[in-house]
Amino acid sequence: MDKTPVIAALEGGVLTLLLNRPQRLNAMSPALIEAMNHELARARDDSDIRAVLLTGIGRGFCAGADLAGTGPGDPDADGQPDLGAAMDRLFNPMIRAMRALPKPIVAAVNGVAAGGGANLALACDIVLAARSARFDQAFVRISLMPDLGGTWFLPHTVGDARARALAMLGDSVPAEEAVRMGMAWQVLDDSALMEEAKKLAHRLAAGPTLSYAAIKQAINAAATNTLDQQLDLERDSQRALGRSADFKEGVAAFLAKRPAHFTGR
Amino acid sequence: MPYERILLAKKDGLATLTFNAPDRLNAVSRKMIAEIKLCWEDLAADSAVRAVLLTGSGRGFCAGADLADPDREASATADSGAALEKYFNPVIRLMRALPKPIVSAVNGVAAGVGMSFVLASDIAIAAKSASFLQAFARIGLLPDGGSTWFLPRRVGEQRARALAMLAPQITAQQAKEWGLIWDVVEDGELMKTATELARRLAEGPSMSLACIKEAMNRASGNDLGQQLDVERDFQRALGRSEDFKEGVAAFLGKRQPIFRGK
Repeated sequence: MDKTPVIAALEGGVLTLLLNRPQRLNAMSPALIEAMNHELARARDDSDIRAVLLTGIGRGFCAGADLAGTGPGDPDADGQPDLGAAMDRLFNPMIRAMRALPKPIVAAVNGVAAGGGANLALACDIVLAARSARFDQAFVRISLMPDLGGTWFLPHTVGDARARALAMLGDSVPAEEAVRMGMAWQVLDDSALMEEAKKLAHRLAAGPTLSYAAIKQAINAAATNTLDQQLDLERDSQRALGRSADFKEGVAAFLAKRPAHFTGR
Repeated sequence: MPYERILLAKKDGLATLTFNAPDRLNAVSRKMIAEIKLCWEDLAADSAVRAVLLTGSGRGFCAGADLADPDREASATADSGAALEKYFNPVIRLMRALPKPIVSAVNGVAAGVGMSFVLASDIAIAAKSASFLQAFARIGLLPDGGSTWFLPRRVGEQRARALAMLAPQITAQQAKEWGLIWDVVEDGELMKTATELARRLAEGPSMSLACIKEAMNRASGNDLGQQLDVERDFQRALGRSEDFKEGVAAFLGKRQPIFRGK
């Protein structure tokens, strides 16, 4: 039984979420997802939180859904597992909350990110990976398909050809290869990962929060918008940002050639 | 039409548009963007123009919107959306809808909306010393000029979000490796290479190039089934063109084709 499947700590505007089932390589139990959803709701509602950092305790980042114990599938009326029900109740709300969160999410992938764990990373805005980390779309090995948005993230992140191969072959992608493909932003030495990830998250937490929220929302919408629709969206968002205190400060700082002091307003 | 902040030259089907505020690294003032918009309208209407080369004079390509522009309304109630609606968005729409290839010769820094101009062109070639920067988040804005749409399509979701949120300055070589631009050449070779490429396009099968551009524009919103139908319809039209007849004859006769854009 896990008492605290996710350890949350708020410091300097950064909400750090530590996946805490190290004995299971942080495989996602129902309790872990429930805790994630709780923390994501808090991150949304608490204006003191301006960036989120997600990482795993121990050797792994997240080994996907926990297949042991009762497993993620609720049995349906025939006693057959219903994986869709767990998606609906737990996993998909988490991914939706991450994408909708109007604050940047940094993933520090400290070890293996397999199955749903790989796609949990891809749902973050900026992925930093330890050199020893790897990304596995392991689903096909147990006759499933990528979920937690994987069939959407993959083609939108690495292109169609690579997406199909990764999903169908389920091969393990080492961190450096993931960066070359664009699945991760940067690879770091294992010993440097957490320090760099914290630095980045704190930089974002001290940045123009409204701008980040608008960027996130715009890039979310870009996937299905036409260019025409997107230009209108940019117009409306830029209009709102142009009235923010951070924009005024940003321009003043630029013209005075000094660093800007953003407040997130 | 006399321009002050840009230069326009037309020769043998090739139009060259040069941003011309070199003392400001070609930062875009209200006056310059108004001229740029007029210029694209002219290039769209001029049937003698079959390709466009876009570049900047001096050290920079385009440093983005000019934050020190005296015409810029700097009050708290100023409307950033209005400048996009009136000038920048029409320019991006004109560039994408123009049924002629646009080649960007990126001679120096392309920042903010200057980078958007590069992304909106069809083929971009950069000098080795050029650099690219989505500067917007540095002043509390989001990328505009279509960059929130171009970026994820060029470099994927992860890199798009990082480029927009972290606003790093990236080298021309990195931009090429990520597929943001087509090629990088030595600084001294840039204008020669880009002009030759643009000239080759100006002498090419213009209808084919226009159909390619329009098909690619539509591909990003189409499913494969819809796109196959677009290809069928466009290919049908191209199959009836003089340039297709000439292309096939030249291929069979093992000679160079002479395309007229008809």
